[in-house]
Amino acid sequence: METLREVVARVLGIEKHKLNDESSPENISSWDSFNALMLVSELEKNFSIRFTMDQVMAVKKYKDIKDVLKKFGATKGIDD
Amino acid sequence: MDLNGYINKSKNIVNMANKNSLSRIKAAFLANFTIIGLPETIKALCYEKGIDAECYNAPYNQYAQEILNNASGLYKFSSNIIFILLDVDKLLGDLMYFPYRLQSQERESIIEERLKELKSLISVLKENTTAKIILNSLLQPIYTSRGIIENKQQFGLIKSIRHFNDRMENFAENDSQIFIFDMNTFCLKIGYDTLKDNKLAYLGDIKISPSGLVKIAQEYIPYIIPLVSKTKKCIVLDLDNTLWGGIIGEDGIRNIRLGPDKEGMPYLDFQKRILELSERGIILAINSKNNYEDAIEAIRKHRHMLLKEEHFACIKINWQDKATNLKEIAKELNIGLDSIVFIDDDKTNRELVRNIVPEVTVVDLPDDPANYASCIENLRLFDMFSITKDDLNRGRSYTEERKREELKSEVPDFKSFLKKLEIKINVMNIDDSLIPRIAQLTQKTNQFNMTTRRYQEEDIKKISETENMIIKCIDIKDRFGEYGITGAVIIKKEDISTWNIDSFLMSCRILGKNIEHYFMKYIINEAKKQGIIRITGTFIQTEKNKPAESFYNDFGFRLERIEDKRYVYCLNIGQEKEMEILAEVIEWKR
Repeated sequence: METLREVVARVLGIEKHKLNDESSPENISSWDSFNALMLVSELEKNFSIRFTMDQVMAVKKYKDIKDVLKKFGATKGIDD
Repeated sequence: MDLNGYINKSKNIVNMANKNSLSRIKAAFLANFTIIGLPETIKALCYEKGIDAECYNAPYNQYAQEILNNASGLYKFSSNIIFILLDVDKLLGDLMYFPYRLQSQERESIIEERLKELKSLISVLKENTTAKIILNSLLQPIYTSRGIIENKQQFGLIKSIRHFNDRMENFAENDSQIFIFDMNTFCLKIGYDTLKDNKLAYLGDIKISPSGLVKIAQEYIPYIIPLVSKTKKCIVLDLDNTLWGGIIGEDGIRNIRLGPDKEGMPYLDFQKRILELSERGIILAINSKNNYEDAIEAIRKHRHMLLKEEHFACIKINWQDKATNLKEIAKELNIGLDSIVFIDDDKTNRELVRNIVPEVTVVDLPDDPANYASCIENLRLFDMFSITKDDLNRGRSYTEERKREELKSEVPDFKSFLKKLEIKINVMNIDDSLIPRIAQLTQKTNQFNMTTRRYQEEDIKKISETENMIIKCIDIKDRFGEYGITGAVIIKKEDISTWNIDSFLMSCRILGKNIEHYFMKYIINEAKKQGIIRITGTFIQTEKNKPAESFYNDFGFRLERIEDKRYVYCLNIGQEKEMEILAEVIEWKR
């Protein structure tokens, strides 16, 4: 299993240390609408969860993903 | 690997050092929904097969515009192959949601209307490209409101979609350019739940899930392989624990597992799958570590052995290492190592072959014989755009070849051997029925091929309709049997006094019988008859066509110039060297 940071960095094709809570489509050019959906599918696989549509649409920045994952009870691999 | 992995991989291919040595193709994708990631996956999968694929993904949901506008990106890209993916919900709209608001005749007329539109769209595409067109059929819905009585409805929804698909298949049946990709068989294989992701469909119009796109890309590869002549020609098989269970040298003919019982059936079914491939034109050979007598006895005498001695073009049962045997098999059958698929249950042998002859495709046979037959089903290495009569006869033709070899050892010299073969040559002008075979010859012939120009059926058809082009082929037989259409020439009439040989090729199966000489002599005679003064030809050197290297020179062609690996020759009629003709040139009806 990868950490959240690892999955996001891999899908967006950026270095891990470049991600912070405020990272978002506004400041990361590869975070486009398609990659946003790739993120959904990769995170679901990695954490063995299924997001709802509302949860997906509520994510505006990196920190939001952490919050959603916490709601699923995920603890490992989120805060690093 | 998943879709994201393939996308990342495809990005790295751009900088690969070996790019220039790969075969190249251009693939275009048209869809009425988001298929981002599919072209990238195709690119990555092609790269694994030694193919450099350049891909064009048409703008989202503009498949019709791309086809109808002849200045579109699609036509500028000029692809070899075009994949079209149409989502059924988007194509049929409300019919999918409220089919039973309508009378059955109304449903039928909507379906007919959509069929007409799609057919005319595909016809326009055909007029504007020679690319292969791969059209997905429509995915059947798994739900209708009529539930358990759905199939009692007259022209019900599911029946309508089946009808649509049937009609599209009929449309493509006799067309060498259009191929229907059966979405429903595909779905049967991977499962509806894998194919669909509702959330992603709503959020991004991704009608095929990321994992579905990877799977569909894998199923598209068999359409690409024959475009670059990478279809495999030969299966080389191990014996012990591959064609039968047990070890013949230890267990003996009575105890090996093969036959219609629980233990023997997996091997029997495996042999059935192999036999059917042989009947389809794939050459078989044996590569086994055994005492020859023990193993050949099992092949000849075991009553459930489906694969008989006659099905094998080459049999290597000895104590040599398997890599050496494979090299010998390739040499004896006159085929490249890269056209061989090797099947062996033994992991050590597989590893050895991978290391010593990496050109050979090594199959990882599953540990459990119960999965042997499905392993063959999943290989997908033998797909071709058409199967010719010559493919169907190939198996027999190799048995005949073994008899010729026996004759060779009886007669003292080559000339009397050729005479005793009683070779007959029929030179034929091209007609429509010969187009698939001639295209296939240009794609598959590597050794005796002067220019190695590859042509698809559409190209050959075009050439055959061009006034200043000549295509002829030869049909060969001898006292042991027929070789079929095994050589071809394409000539361009440059002007009233000059012919240029665009392609001259002979299948490796008829090499070593001087047939190429008879064919060239025939061409020169034809040229004379038509008042031609000179014939020009080029030898384009490749890694494989050494056997053809001195051909023009042997005939008295003069080397005019060398440009890189192109040797340009010219023959002034009258200056050709005399070649003794030992075969008879006659005509017969096929």
